[in-house]
Amino acid sequence: MPVPNGISHSAEEDDIDYSDIEAKYRVEMEEGFDNIIVVDGVPVIDELKLEKLLSKICKEFGKKGLTVKASSIHVPWDKTTGKSKGYIFMELQSPEEAIYAQNAMHGHAFDSKHTFAVNRFSDIDYFANLDETYEEPQASTYVPKEHLRAWLADPQGRDQYVTYRNDQVAVHWHGKPSQSEVAYEKANWTELYVQWSPQGTVLATLHRRGIILYGGPSWKELIRFAHPLVKLMDFSPNEQYLVTWSNEPIVVPEGAPQGPQYFSPEDEGNTIAVWDIKTGHLLRTFPTQSNAQDDPNAKKQMQWPALKWSGDDKYVARVTPGQQISVYELPSMALLGKKSVKIEGVVDFEWCPLGDKDKDEMERDAKTPSGLVPGKAKKVRENMLVYWTPEVANQPARVTLMSFPSRSLLRSKNLFNVTECKLYWQNQGDFLCVKVDRHTKTKKSIFCNMEIFRVREKDFPVEVVELKDTVTDFSWEPRGERFAIVSSNDPNLGNPGPGVTIKTDVSFFQLEHGKGDFKLLKTLSGRTSNTIRWSPRGRHLVLATVGSSTKSELEFWDLDFTAEDAGRREGQTFKEEWGSGIQILGTADHYGVTDVEWDPSGRYLATSASAWRHTLENGYAIWDFRGQEIEKHILDRFKQFLWRPRPRTLLTKEQQRLIRKNLREFSRAFDEEDIAEESNVSAELIAHRKRLVDEWNAWRSRCKKEVADERRK
Amino acid sequence: MRPILLQGHERSLTQIKFNAEGDLLFTCSKDHIINVWYSHNGERLGTYDGHNGTVWTVDVDSQSHFLISGSADNTLRLWAVATGKCLYTWELPTAVKRVAFSEDDDQVVCITEQRMGHQGAIRIFDINREGDGTDQSEEPSSMFNPVGSKPTVCTFAHTPGMILTGHESGKVALFDAKTGEEVNNNERAHMDVVTDLQLSPDRSYFITSSKDKTARIHDTRTLAVLKTLQTETPLNSAAIAPNRPYVLLGGGQEAMSVTTTSLRQGKFETRFWHKVFEEEVGRVKGHFGPINTIAVHPSGKTYASGGEDGFVRVHHFDESYFKAKPYGDIEPED
Amino acid sequence: SERKALQVRRAIVARRRELLSELSVRKEKEEASRRAEASRREKDEEAKRALEDIRRKEQDRIRNEIASIKAEEAKKLAANLIKVGGIKAVDLDQMDNVNTDDLMKIHVAQLEKEKKELSERMRIISKRMDHTERAYRKEERPLVAEDYER
Repeated sequence: MPVPNGISHSAEEDDIDYSDIEAKYRVEMEEGFDNIIVVDGVPVIDELKLEKLLSKICKEFGKKGLTVKASSIHVPWDKTTGKSKGYIFMELQSPEEAIYAQNAMHGHAFDSKHTFAVNRFSDIDYFANLDETYEEPQASTYVPKEHLRAWLADPQGRDQYVTYRNDQVAVHWHGKPSQSEVAYEKANWTELYVQWSPQGTVLATLHRRGIILYGGPSWKELIRFAHPLVKLMDFSPNEQYLVTWSNEPIVVPEGAPQGPQYFSPEDEGNTIAVWDIKTGHLLRTFPTQSNAQDDPNAKKQMQWPALKWSGDDKYVARVTPGQQISVYELPSMALLGKKSVKIEGVVDFEWCPLGDKDKDEMERDAKTPSGLVPGKAKKVRENMLVYWTPEVANQPARVTLMSFPSRSLLRSKNLFNVTECKLYWQNQGDFLCVKVDRHTKTKKSIFCNMEIFRVREKDFPVEVVELKDTVTDFSWEPRGERFAIVSSNDPNLGNPGPGVTIKTDVSFFQLEHGKGDFKLLKTLSGRTSNTIRWSPRGRHLVLATVGSSTKSELEFWDLDFTAEDAGRREGQTFKEEWGSGIQILGTADHYGVTDVEWDPSGRYLATSASAWRHTLENGYAIWDFRGQEIEKHILDRFKQFLWRPRPRTLLTKEQQRLIRKNLREFSRAFDEEDIAEESNVSAELIAHRKRLVDEWNAWRSRCKKEVADERRK
Repeated sequence: MRPILLQGHERSLTQIKFNAEGDLLFTCSKDHIINVWYSHNGERLGTYDGHNGTVWTVDVDSQSHFLISGSADNTLRLWAVATGKCLYTWELPTAVKRVAFSEDDDQVVCITEQRMGHQGAIRIFDINREGDGTDQSEEPSSMFNPVGSKPTVCTFAHTPGMILTGHESGKVALFDAKTGEEVNNNERAHMDVVTDLQLSPDRSYFITSSKDKTARIHDTRTLAVLKTLQTETPLNSAAIAPNRPYVLLGGGQEAMSVTTTSLRQGKFETRFWHKVFEEEVGRVKGHFGPINTIAVHPSGKTYASGGEDGFVRVHHFDESYFKAKPYGDIEPED
Repeated sequence: SERKALQVRRAIVARRRELLSELSVRKEKEEASRRAEASRREKDEEAKRALEDIRRKEQDRIRNEIASIKAEEAKKLAANLIKVGGIKAVDLDQMDNVNTDDLMKIHVAQLEKEKKELSERMRIISKRMDHTERAYRKEERPLVAEDYER
């Protein structure tokens, strides 16, 4: 603390010769290149423009909160042309900053012609020396595995979420104030981002060398997948397989490890890999498909996921735009029927997800020996997918449902004046909406048809909802018979500019039983909302304005507000006025919101402002379903918030019904718990505050007296 | 609590001060002008004209007789509060960044900026209160150059002859006014520039704000940090509210681009924190830019904030502010 | 001298007559002007009265209008209140005695009540949702361990 005679002390320090220490320090710096990044895609210039270029680069980095001096940028020159080489080396303050810089500036559009590609120098170094860093695979010894789903047995029934901030990844328990705590946390746990498996069993982290999965109560490493410079990943729905992608084609250097878990020479040049999660084995690799073949001038866009899974993990398929859909069988990854399905012009497809019904039937089938199934039991529905082909010459556009493995055509529908189709399955596989953007004959204006297929009914009846406006977002109610859309006729739609917020309408539709068609429930007009987030349990939804510089409002809606009294039951049609149950529960605002996600129970909503999008007031907030703020954290360099998904409940329908029936008894116990919790928390808080005040008051009275004495002198 | 908006400045505010009775509010700005207002209704009484540069700082003596101001025009000026007349001008080598009267009104302390071969300096001038105030001594009664990080804010400490300073490095220190000796310091009081320093009524403790996004309460004698109020924005000012256990913090990040400012319009907030619990208790928004300076009425019934937006907002607290007991009966001493 | 005296007297008489007639003319003039003045004043008074009258009428009209607007508003408010169930339709008969302020108060009370009801309903929904979820999880807990052993 206070240093008397500090003046002479620091004067002395100036005289000490540090040069030896500094020299040593410098050597250390040069050994670790972790704080150096290589920025590619920089304009090629001659020396005259160097100063201007460097100052602009510094400014661009500065916008992301990175202080870079021109002196810490090294520009390599081409001696023959006298021009720069189009890439630069940049030294940052720390390795953490370098990682941040890579994330923040990779893919950054410097100007209309130049986009930055940022790598860390040590990454490039690593690849240059790849064969030297070869590691002997360790023989694994058998350790009893932890229960990967132990978090579901939490005595307090809490959910978890993961946050990624700066270089820190943390898994949190979310519960009552006294129960919210960090379950596990680790610095540099990931290098790019983190991702939960679809049922929440494992957490994946992305590294230069590949992907690592973690899980269990102690967050041990479970398995690795060696895909260097992996950028994207995708799990199969039942968590059996993993798909990875890197922008760098696979290279297998000499002396690289061999075995079923590693790439072999025939994988070279490919970018997509499919892995078996249990064994860690590589199943197959693919090159990247781009849909740009029709129009070579079009920006190359890769579809992700590049491979799409059937709901039961039995098949994975990919589209070769314009030509075919290839379906592969798991686990062999052999082409189903030894050949792809040739579909001229095909643009996109989607598998029908499995509903709870389908899963129940599959489980029952698995338990009953085949052939002994009583006649009344329904057969499990075959996997099916929907694809669409655009209009060519005199051929109309077409949407087709096809089942697998039989490849039978179930239903198809012709469409006219089609600009674009988007395919939306309801999550139980009950309905399919094909959102068709149509143009008038003059091609001047765009309007929208929603072709809704009722896929559990005989002959797949289709009904059309026509809209005059452009539909910018569509979302099915999970497990429900409703959907919500965002539509707009704002003239600015399609030409986003700074500060422009598109005016939108939000509409809700519901299936009218008996008639079998979808009818408008309500339209909320004159909004700016561009994002719909249904609660995973249905009924509640949040409308948000995301990515706008001027608006960041959140609206919390209940679609069955009045139906509550009637004791809503599945499939019950309530007699009330159509759409009367729709009620806004609350509004809130999260400045700069970039992400909006419900927790798995539909009781809480998390919003976050990620540093990947902008650097103003990053952080996250958690709200209840009616928009009351539970907690809010503003954190520099906050990047990611993800609720941990939960698998399907282990309770049977009957068990669930019984619980609902006896809710009163449960309620009594929970009420008691809650009251205890409240008084507990408040008692603790009051004691804490009392302590603080006592300390303060003691200090005050002592201090007042002493100061008064001193002042009298 | 409807605020009174004082619109008398054309550029951002630099400092605002209430007089001892609290009926007057002095405001100074980058527009070279010092204004004085009736605090109860926001009516402007007059101006103090004469500075030819940003007026960085202002202070008024306890009798509301003399006003002292420091400016970027390298002068320190003494004014008659009642007439607006400039009584004396001290020419100094560099800009005057901070001034303060001593408790007995007989001295002023000022900080001059480090620039063009001149070290940052602290000078103390004796104020001759006899006569009409124009007969002042040109020379300071003492002057010294703090070594190391340059001072940004200063005032007289709890005992006369002791100068309390905040520095660019985040340091706070106590200097002997006569010898210039650094009697005590706390090098790590803040991690970044100290932007404001305001004393408790009895000068036994003080609050500092800093660009490091925190405000801290310190014991004046030991300079030990008693309380830390961690916010998420760089702070420009911090004030202690008498008669309630709160402190008021102001600041805000200048939005980086024009497109992002619209949402922030009128949303730069004065933050109220409980000084003992280190918890935020509320916010008052209204400014269109970062808040540069905050002052609280000596009775605690009113506060004012001056912003980068050129506005001064005067808020009179409601009855409920004094009656509310958000923490029950646990109320600390002043 | 007698003639002279006569002449003088005649002259005096003539002068007197002259004066007299002058006086009467002046008197008449004065009288006329007084009358004119009076009539002007009267006219003024009348104009003032007329103006006053018009003003009063205008005020009455405005007052009536305000009253009728108020009554209209009150009726509307009342109708609205009846619709949302704040007061009963029978109360409408006693409308004449009810002014807008009272209705406003009822209306505010009604809104207050609605707000309370809304938040009460939300509280119940919130509790039901929370407790249902917790009950599911509580019952699922033993199954999670079994799931592992399987």
